[in-house]
Amino acid sequence: MSNERLEVIENVLKSKKIEDYEIYLVDKAIFETIFLKDKLEKEREVSYFEYFIRTLSQKGDQTGIGVVKGNSLDPRQIEKSVEISQLLSKNNASSKYQFPISAKIQDIKTADDRILKDPLTIKKNLAEELIVEAIQQKHATPTFGRFRIHSYNNFLRNSNDLNLEAKKTFFFIEFALKAQSEGKLSEFWEVGYFKEKEHLKFKERVSEWARKANDTLKAEIPKPSSSAIVVFPPSVLRLALTPVLGTHSLGKAYFEKISRFNIGDKVASDNISLYDDGLLEGGLNSNSWDSEGNAHQTTEVIKNGVFQNRLFDQKYAMLEGVQSTGNARRAESGTIENGFSNFTISPGEISFKEMISNIKEGYYIEQFSWLNPDAISGNFGAEIRNGYYIKNGELQNPIKLGNVSGNVLEMVKNCVCISKEREFTEDTLFPYMAFRTLNVSS
Amino acid sequence: MSSKSYDEIFSDFEEISSHYKRSDQYFDILYDSISSTTIAKTPSAENFSINAKKSGIVARTFLGTWKEVAIDENYKVSEIKQRIPKLINKGDAITEFESWEMNKEIKPKIDSLNVPIDEKIKNVREIFNYVKNVDERIINVQIRYLESLIERIFVNNEGCKLRQVIPRSRLYIIPIAREGSVVDYDYLIKSGEMGFEIFDFIDNDALDKAVQNSLDMLNAKLPPSGRNTIILDPKMAGLIAHESFGHGLEADQILRGRSYLERHLGKQVASEISTIYDTPSLDKKLGSYFFDDEGIRAGHNVLVENGILKNFIYDRRTASELKAIPQGNGRRESFAHPVNVRMTNTYFGSGDYDLKEMISEVKEGVMLVHGYFGMEDPLGGGMQCTSKKAYLIENGEKTKTLKATALSGDVLTLLKNIDAISKDALKLDGGTCGKGTEDYVPVTSGGSYLRAKNALVSPG
Repeated sequence: MSNERLEVIENVLKSKKIEDYEIYLVDKAIFETIFLKDKLEKEREVSYFEYFIRTLSQKGDQTGIGVVKGNSLDPRQIEKSVEISQLLSKNNASSKYQFPISAKIQDIKTADDRILKDPLTIKKNLAEELIVEAIQQKHATPTFGRFRIHSYNNFLRNSNDLNLEAKKTFFFIEFALKAQSEGKLSEFWEVGYFKEKEHLKFKERVSEWARKANDTLKAEIPKPSSSAIVVFPPSVLRLALTPVLGTHSLGKAYFEKISRFNIGDKVASDNISLYDDGLLEGGLNSNSWDSEGNAHQTTEVIKNGVFQNRLFDQKYAMLEGVQSTGNARRAESGTIENGFSNFTISPGEISFKEMISNIKEGYYIEQFSWLNPDAISGNFGAEIRNGYYIKNGELQNPIKLGNVSGNVLEMVKNCVCISKEREFTEDTLFPYMAFRTLNVSS
Repeated sequence: MSSKSYDEIFSDFEEISSHYKRSDQYFDILYDSISSTTIAKTPSAENFSINAKKSGIVARTFLGTWKEVAIDENYKVSEIKQRIPKLINKGDAITEFESWEMNKEIKPKIDSLNVPIDEKIKNVREIFNYVKNVDERIINVQIRYLESLIERIFVNNEGCKLRQVIPRSRLYIIPIAREGSVVDYDYLIKSGEMGFEIFDFIDNDALDKAVQNSLDMLNAKLPPSGRNTIILDPKMAGLIAHESFGHGLEADQILRGRSYLERHLGKQVASEISTIYDTPSLDKKLGSYFFDDEGIRAGHNVLVENGILKNFIYDRRTASELKAIPQGNGRRESFAHPVNVRMTNTYFGSGDYDLKEMISEVKEGVMLVHGYFGMEDPLGGGMQCTSKKAYLIENGEKTKTLKATALSGDVLTLLKNIDAISKDALKLDGGTCGKGTEDYVPVTSGGSYLRAKNALVSPG
């Protein structure tokens, strides 16, 4: 792809006779509206670019990797950055590594042309639509909100003639609605990224927030239980499953002896099939290629509860003697990390409503304060912020406070039901799922 | 921009600021530059990365609402004038605060810039090799060293002309232990406003202790669920002061009508022995600086004194609206992030108890140590703070080691139930804090040991 700034950086690399190099450059444009209650508080426009240079020093069966990050186009500064990268690579001792070579990459669309063309107008219109919906709620009022459009253009070029470009657009919403009655206060506070404009659905979404805020006014502290069924929606499952299953599925975790998963092991209930899908239409991390330039793909991770495949970036694929599965992610520092792309779980056969109707006694937890399971041990415990009792097949009174605790690695072995409905939450497309053996305390 | 001297940047910024008359509108402009080095080592990977220098500027005006433009260093500064509107007769929309000048660079004991990269790598490798060989049950060691040098230059049309250069360093050490099918860990973190001398704080005794802490987790039991007398170590006490209590004091939540603490100003919110501070002017802490990202001088904020709520935490806008004196709590993660009201170094004051005495008086209880994470609930006043480890207390003695333990319930109830605070010297631990789930800034939190009755604990 033609880009003047890439040329400037590449010319410096070539002039210094660097044989193995990679340049990753990203242009970022961000447009944000911030609300104070139902009024505009702040408008922000942010535009900048940054680049990462990686250079290699091959040393027999080892490779040294140096990474430098910057945003100066001053040739002297770039020259200095290249020298630093070379120094780092000479001091670094990593396993054998080569940059990917140009391969067949499936081209997928990850940017909305309407946003690329006129981001400010789209942002203005959507922010207005959001606040109008919030103002129209009869029993809840906004306390604050943030709405943002991100528009990125990514370039990747390496010394193996890889030359890639990808545009990407997505949204961010943080919004809180407050309900009050008889001196009691409650809120629903939503934070998250949304890949597609069609995922925003402000009308349904905002009225759901208001319903949750109002229901929480009537919330009771849950009764303790160590045997009831607990149902989680897709948004909660993302927080519960991705850190733990994402870690244990990685080639890196296997090589570092912290993965509990061996190929062919039964690691989940029969009804769970999990895929890593870097090409998922509507997935936040979807792109034609991963952060090293290897093709994204769909990988079967767990099939009917049995662990099938590990997820590899270039480094761990080379250690294992296999092909990368397109699972490289770029860290803030510019280094490459082995990580999942988007996770999907296959749908079940009954509706969410039927799932609830089959439960005699249980809990439906819509939101925790912060569900943050330990990625290695899988242990978690989190305070309920919004939830419901399930009694005799129906959602009953709202619940709040109290803790749900358990272990994700054990929880997925005790999944009793999966809904046929699935929803996007950032980098996941998950159904509703019901588990037993979790502990509810209060 | 990065090729310009700070005098040239000051000169550019003063010229732009003079374009906007204070009598018409408020205007400020900030230059933000960060250089950093990251060295991370695990059994199968060494990652070295240097951020040579990433910089940008952000300018804004207040016209009843904020209008803000952030650009990277390759744009012409004159573009700001084209994108920030110039108005007439709107100047009284926000209070005028102190006009002052400062130009200060923190010099660490050992300037990281003067230490060759191979020496830094050698130190990380030595720690790695030592830790992995202490005990055969250590199956994995993860080390991360991060040093940064941040320069911020601030000019506004009230006459502020400020520059600060602050070095910060962090070192994370995680020995992961395995025995049978149990894999678990504890961690050691050192951080502060310092340079390469950070390695002086990590000797073999500290590493042995870190390994033993991880090994102890292999036999840790699940904590009890229910109400207990608890003792919190300084790190857990800091989590309560910051996450559960402090976020509700951020005055943007007051303007939003989103703080459970709004109606408690001047009232009892904690037991009489409790005092809580937020102090950006503390010496050599991760959350310290001379001025915030709105040009307000770093101060010392007594939030709670003898259990009485004395102050909220303000940025320029909220201090103006609520007619308060800001103490320097308007912070940005970088030029590309917005200003928010943020905490800095937040901590409980020390008490007069001896820790052994505190423990000996507990018949049944839980001591939560190594605070891990917590989440705010500014409207509801709920609390979720989790420790990586805990100890069962039985008949006045620490007995079994417990796994990660969550503390939940109502934060004011917990604060009012504090019945003992240890006389140990204050201990503040560094970390980063997000506003919601983003906009991360360096902070510390801590205090000494606290004891509280009737607190809700459960597995975390």
